[in-house]
Amino acid sequence: MNGRKGSGARGKAGAQGGQGGKDGQRRPMFRRRKVCKFCADKIDDINYKDTKLLMPFVPERAKILPRRISGTCAMHQRKLRTAIMRARQLALIPYTAE
Amino acid sequence: MARKYELVYVVSPDATDAQVSELHTQVEQIAQRLGGSIEKTDNWGRRKLAYEIGPHKEGTYVLETIDGGGELMKEIDRRLKVSDLIIRHLIVRIDEEQAVIDRTRSRRTDTARRRRVARGLPPDRQPGEGQRSEMEDDDRFDMNEVER
Repeated sequence: MNGRKGSGARGKAGAQGGQGGKDGQRRPMFRRRKVCKFCADKIDDINYKDTKLLMPFVPERAKILPRRISGTCAMHQRKLRTAIMRARQLALIPYTAE
Repeated sequence: MARKYELVYVVSPDATDAQVSELHTQVEQIAQRLGGSIEKTDNWGRRKLAYEIGPHKEGTYVLETIDGGGELMKEIDRRLKVSDLIIRHLIVRIDEEQAVIDRTRSRRTDTARRRRVARGLPPDRQPGEGQRSEMEDDDRFDMNEVER
């Protein structure tokens, strides 16, 4: 519906959907290029104790936000994952939200 | 041998302060007995749990940084599992990760300095220096594009 399909849907919006030709006449969709938050802010330490840092990556349902949406780079997503899983063990972050 | 561990345990909210500090001394004693030491203790106080654990909705969190070997941590782990005052605990080895973090950090400052010197600037940022303003608007992480 909101038209994130096709090959360009990875969200790397560097190039505008402008000359998209055959399927893209209805939206000159500009997708903001996603940047890894941890690279950009130079956060080296993704720590399970830092719930403030982790919370944005576990939205409502308390699932871990996928890379394709958050734009986190692979290395940091990996670290993020361990941190979230540790925090969950200590009940700092929920496993699920009912 | 010089390993460093981090231990966080969640004490049941019914426990009194005295019981909490007793747990701490217990851990300390085990550490001393097995040739380790507690580097620092941090009591986060009572916090709400993210989910209910059995009957509990809150817990007292205590963080200890411990120097010592794997045997020691095994023993502590065993003791904490047995204790019924403790509702959760987690032991993480931190020395290696810390080393990696320190290394990346120092490498970054080094390259930054080298580049600045190469541009003919003093190695450290001067107070009045503008160029990069504090993170222009940071709505890169607006999550409204998320489909549900």
